[in-house]
This record gives sequence, C-alpha cells and structure tokens, in this order.
Amino acid sequence: MSPLLAIDDLSVTFARSGLLSRLINPFPLPSFNVIDGVTLSLMPGETLGLVGESGSGKTTLARTILGLVRAAAGRITFEGRNVATPADFRAMRRRSAMMFQDPVASLSPRLRIGALLTEPQIIQGLPMPDRRAAAKALLALVGLPASFVDRFPHELSGGQARRVGVARALAMKPHLLLADEPTAGLDVSVQGDVLNLIGELKRELGFAAMIVTHNLAMIRHVSDRLAIMYLGRLVETGPTQDVFSAPLHPYTATLIQSEPIPDPRRRSQNPAVTGEIPSVFRRPSGCEFHTRCPIARDRCKTEAPAYRPMGTDRMVRCHFPLVTGGQEREAFSRASANHRGN
Amino acid sequence: MTGSLAASNLSVRYETPHGAVHALRHVDIEAHPGEVIGIVGESGCGKSTLVTALANLLPANARIDGSISYNGVDLAKLDAHHQRLLRGDEIALVGQDPMTAFNPVLTIGDQLVDFQHHRKDLGRAQKRARIAAMLGRVGIADAERRMNSYPHELSGGMRQRVAIAAALLTDPGLLIADEPTTALDVTMEAQIIHLLRELRRDYNGIIIVVSHHLGVIAELCDRVYVMYAGEVVEGGEVDAIFHDARHPYTQALLACDPARFHEKLDRLPTIPGSLPNLTQPPSGCVYAPRCDRAFAPCVSVAPPLVKLSVSHMARCHAVTP
Ligand SMILES: Nc1ncnc2c1ncn2[C@@H]1O[C@H](COP(=O)(O)OP(=O)(O)OP(=O)(O)O)[C@@H](O)[C@H]1O
Ligand SMILES: Nc1ncnc2c1ncn2[C@@H]1O[C@H](COP(=O)(O)OP(=O)(O)O)[C@@H](O)[C@H]1O
Ligand code: SF4
Ligand code: SF4
Ligand SMILES: [Mg+2]
Ligand SMILES: [Mg+2]
Repeated sequence: MSPLLAIDDLSVTFARSGLLSRLINPFPLPSFNVIDGVTLSLMPGETLGLVGESGSGKTTLARTILGLVRAAAGRITFEGRNVATPADFRAMRRRSAMMFQDPVASLSPRLRIGALLTEPQIIQGLPMPDRRAAAKALLALVGLPASFVDRFPHELSGGQARRVGVARALAMKPHLLLADEPTAGLDVSVQGDVLNLIGELKRELGFAAMIVTHNLAMIRHVSDRLAIMYLGRLVETGPTQDVFSAPLHPYTATLIQSEPIPDPRRRSQNPAVTGEIPSVFRRPSGCEFHTRCPIARDRCKTEAPAYRPMGTDRMVRCHFPLVTGGQEREAFSRASANHRGN
Repeated sequence: MTGSLAASNLSVRYETPHGAVHALRHVDIEAHPGEVIGIVGESGCGKSTLVTALANLLPANARIDGSISYNGVDLAKLDAHHQRLLRGDEIALVGQDPMTAFNPVLTIGDQLVDFQHHRKDLGRAQKRARIAAMLGRVGIADAERRMNSYPHELSGGMRQRVAIAAALLTDPGLLIADEPTTALDVTMEAQIIHLLRELRRDYNGIIIVVSHHLGVIAELCDRVYVMYAGEVVEGGEVDAIFHDARHPYTQALLACDPARFHEKLDRLPTIPGSLPNLTQPPSGCVYAPRCDRAFAPCVSVAPPLVKLSVSHMARCHAVTP
C-alpha cells in the first residue's frame, strides 16, 4: 500500500524579526529552521500521534502540510501526487481538514453554528440545496441536538465547541484529518467523548488522522504510530505500543517517565530530566538534547546524530539509543534510578 | 490550632444578569500546618472560587455565606484593614498563568523587592539578598543575573518558579497554588512538582494545590477534597481517595483518567451527561442526573456528609461507614 501522505526532508524557516526580539537582541539575525529535515509518512486510515513540548514545532508542521505556512525545503506527496504549487495545496486542502488548537477562537464569533458548519462547502462551491438540513445532519453525526444550528460559538461549552470543530472538519468528507491539540483544556471525561467520537467516525468514514498533542496519556490510546519532536526535528518514530513499552530515544523515555501517575503509592522520586527546554533559535551544538540528556557523553556535544532506522518500523536520532538489553538502556535506568516506587 | 485554616458551611454565589450562579454550596474543609491539601474536580466545579474565597480575593459580584477561620479567628469578624493585612502577610496565591502575575515592564528583581513591602525592617540590599537566596531555593541558577531579567525573558517553567519564590518571600502561613502546572509542558511540570515537594520539607505552613489533573494531586498531596458542581463530595487521605474512593463521582472521575490504562483502549471511559446548571442547582444530590447508582431519595433529598473514618467522608445516600 502506498502512503496517503509523505513528507520528505521538510524544513520551515522563520526570520526572527519581531520588534520584541529585536529589542532583546539588536544584532541582525539569520533565519532559523523551526522545522528541520522532517521525513514522515501516513498510511490511509492510519492515526499518527505527533508529540512534543510547547514550541517544538508541531503546529507549524501541521500548517505547513496544508500549505498554510511555506516550506523552505522538502517535498510533500499526497495521494501519490507531488504537492508544490498553491493550486496543488488548494486541491489537497479540499480532501483534508484541520481542527485548530483553539476551537472557539477558530470559529467566527458572528456566524451561527449552522452557517459555520456549511461554510466550507459553500466556499468550495459545492452544491447544497438545503443548508439547514445539511447542518443538522452534521450535528447529528457528532451527537449534538439539531437546535444548535441557531446558536453562536460562545454559547457552547468547551466539549461542544470541539464537537462542532469535528463536524466542520468532517463536512468535506476528508481523506486526511489534522487535529491540533483536539482535547487541550478539556476535562478527562469530555476528552474521552471527543476522542471516542473521532475514533468512531474514523472507522465509519475511513480517513487517516494526524493528532498533534503533548498529552501522552491520551495519545497512547488513540494512535497507531507516534512521531516525537524536539526543537523542530523528529527524534523518534515507531508503532505506539512499541514506543511506550521500549522508547529508544532518551527524550522519549524522559517524557514517558515525567507523566504524573494517578497513584500516590507510585510517586516519582526524582524528576526524570532537569534543565530548561532550549529554544529553536538557539539550538545546542551536536545532539540538541545533550543539555538535558541523562546519558549524554562527550561525543553528543559535538557530533549531531543521524536520523536512522532501527529494525523494520522504527527510526531514532541518537548516538546511543536505549536498545532493549543494551548498556545504554541500563545506564538510563540507573540515571533515573529509584524513579518510581511499585 | 495555630496556623490552621477552616471553612465551614461556606457558600458563594455570583450575581449575574441571568440570575445568581451558585458556584459554591455548604463547603466544609480544614487544613493544618505542614499539610499539602489537594482540591480536584472538573472545570467549573468551583475550585478557583473556593481558593479565592479563602484568600479573600473574590470579585465584587460575589456573595459569601458561612465562615472561614484562620488561626482560630473568624475572618468575617475582622475589619477590612485587618483582612487586608492578613491577606498580604499570611496568604499567598500562585496562579495558573505565571505571566499574568508579573508586570511586563519591571525587572524580576524590582518586582520581588516590592513583594516584600511588609518587611519594613529590611533595607533594599537585604531584600535583594533574600531574593537571591529564594531564587536559588526554587532552582533558578544564576539568580543575580535573573533578577535583572524581564518576565518575557524567562521560560514558562522559570516564571512559575519565580512566582513561587515571590509567594514564599512574604513568609505566608498559607500558600495556594491554583493549577500551578497546567500551563507547563510535562518535563517542566515534573520539575515544579518536585520543587513544591522539596519546599514542604522546610516550610511549615499549609499548601493548597488546586488541579483538575489527578496525577498532579496524587504526586503532591497528603489530603484531598473532590469537588463536583460547587460541592465537596468526598474528602480524605490521598491514599483513601485513590485506592478506596466511595463517592460514585470520585470513582467515575478516577475511572476516566487515561493515564490509568497502559493497554490500548478502543474506547476511552467517560461520564455520560453533563454538569448541572449552577443557576438552578438540583434540590437532591448534585450528581444524581449522571449517577448510575441513583435511587429514589437522590433526586429530592440532599445527601448527608457520611463519615467513613476519622479523615474520610463522602456526601452520598448510598455510602455507609
Ligand atoms: N509566524 C511565526 N514567526 C516566527 N516564529 C514563529 C512563528 N510561528 C511559530 N513560531 C515559532 O516556531 C516555533 C514552533 O512553534 P509551533 O507553534 O509550531 O509550536 P508547537 O509545537 O505547536 O507548540 P504548542 O505546543 O505550544 O502549541 C516556536 O519557537 C514559535 O515561537
Ligand atoms: N466572576 C464570576 N461571575 C459569574 N460567574 C462566575 C464568576 N467566576 C466564576 N463563575 C462561575 O462559577 C463557577 C465555578 O467557577 P470556578 O471557581 O472558576 O471553577 P474551577 O476553578 O473549578 O474551574 C462556574 O460556573 C463559573 O462559570
Ligand atoms: S545523542 Fe547523546 S545526548 Fe543525544 S539523546 Fe543520544 S545519548 Fe542523549
Ligand atoms: S446520593 Fe445518590 S445520586 Fe448522589 S452520588 Fe450518591 S447514589 Fe449517586
Ligand atoms: Mg501548537
Ligand atoms: Mg480554575
């Protein structure tokens, strides 16, 4: 099977030009790779979780895939065709949908839900004999009452606004759904609701999804594959279950260990990692994670590790990956020894 | 008891053009020096209302009933001047967004000097020395240089550390942290959790941690109050809450946390239904419309607070000691 979406060596550059940053640093600065050499693919029907901390470039990557941000280098292939010109991106956007990070802000406040739900089709010039009926059908699809067609976005709860976001995204029957933090700010129960809804609709309609998040506890249940990002670069990809049970990159391992566990009998003894997250605008030399990596060695400070395959379906960017049974794995567990009780 | 805090039968309503929002109803809580108390519940359940009431910082449209006492003194009986004094000296609040706690155009050092205005006995140099020591205490390397930084020059995690340092500089008897890690990434969150845990070792006041994140509560707290729709529905030692929860809502909330499951789930557990409208709270149990154990009395009679052990209680018709 060929991938639905393939990204090859994609980079995005931003000039650091804001007034504030000029005040902080008056020297003319070159531009910076916010996304650097990302290679990734998504199979039809697959769910990929894109995980990374704030500022690591997740939103930027999602927006670049849809052509909302211009790539400085690299190739995007969608359904077997190269996507390069604005017309290509428009064609691709017609077959894909994006759920934005802040659902209420991304819904126009002056339009009623009914109009918001059918707006994308109208913009695309698709025929729609009865807008109200079409909107009500979409509301039913996401489990909201038909009476919501007359409501305004600010009259919805957080969870309801996400449901409207899902309905709006799916109105176009996309082949690809890009969801940026689809459950940020939601309570666990409502989060479960929204994710169950996306899961059900996926099974029914068969689209592929890329879910951008920093919520590991959630993504482990809803994704088939994971891609971990640090400072605009992928550091690890692999099947979700494998990555969770045996992370190869020390950063992935620290992320998993940092998650607070809802069990007072298993409190963490030490933070898995110390130090601040560096900025993409000031990347550390060598391996970018060396300033915080519990098993960094001298080589890591000077030589950047290559992004290389491990086994058949995993990739990792580290000189000393935590291979099961290997001494790095052991060194890592020693460095975070006594991390949690049993 | 010296340094203890107690709220009894505390209710807060917000007057709005659409009627009164009953954000807090007949809440009883207590906290003693050296304890870390957790307040947990879903968004809108009244966590922030409760702690802002404790800190005497409610907005003007709030109406308060019941009593709050600190050190054995009923706060309502103090005049405005003494309430303000108490608030400034004894109670410090660290908010969710550390950026809003600071003035963007003043350096960290200048702001932390101002935070110590109550220490009339100290000169500026002594205040700066205290700041440097406190910043070191909360894990900020290079404290002297950081004092000359502006808030936007610090990362979110660092700003939260500075906010905690600022709170501790006033030597408060009560430190309230409202969602202290919600705006932070997971590695920074873990660092702040460890910082708060270390601080409690030599801080002899009360720490109240508010969070909707069960993991954060489990990592940090000694005792926990679980809130639902403006009420405390269960309270107890952290171990009892996480391993022997008795209220149906607490049980459902714990069951929903995806962090509890390591095997991949096809469907995430949820609590069917939604929060009641707080302008017209139900007359019986607030959780009745969503409770799978509700029976006849639940819809009409408000459930009693049932004492399950010395420190464990739940507000429910279906629990027995
Ligand atoms: N238009 C822009 N101009 C300059 N820099 C930008 C721009 N948009 C984003 N950035 C920077 O690029 C980096 C990546 O940002 P991005 O929004 O993609 O991160 P993210 O991983 O989605 O973070 P979060 O988890 O906070 O949503 C950040 O350092 C951000 O400040
Ligand atoms: N200033 C206010 N005026 C009117 N209603 C308010 C005000 N502040 C909070 N509320 C309402 O009170 C309830 C509890 O809010 P809050 O204490 O902020 O909850 P939490 O912190 O648990 O999310 C909510 O229904 C909220 O909308
Ligand atoms: S290359 Fe070195 S510093 Fe980087 S993650 Fe691997 S071990 Fe750590
Ligand atoms: S009082 Fe009744 S409705 Fe309320 S939690 Fe208990 S059993 Fe459920
Ligand atoms: Mg983002
Ligand atoms: Mg709050």
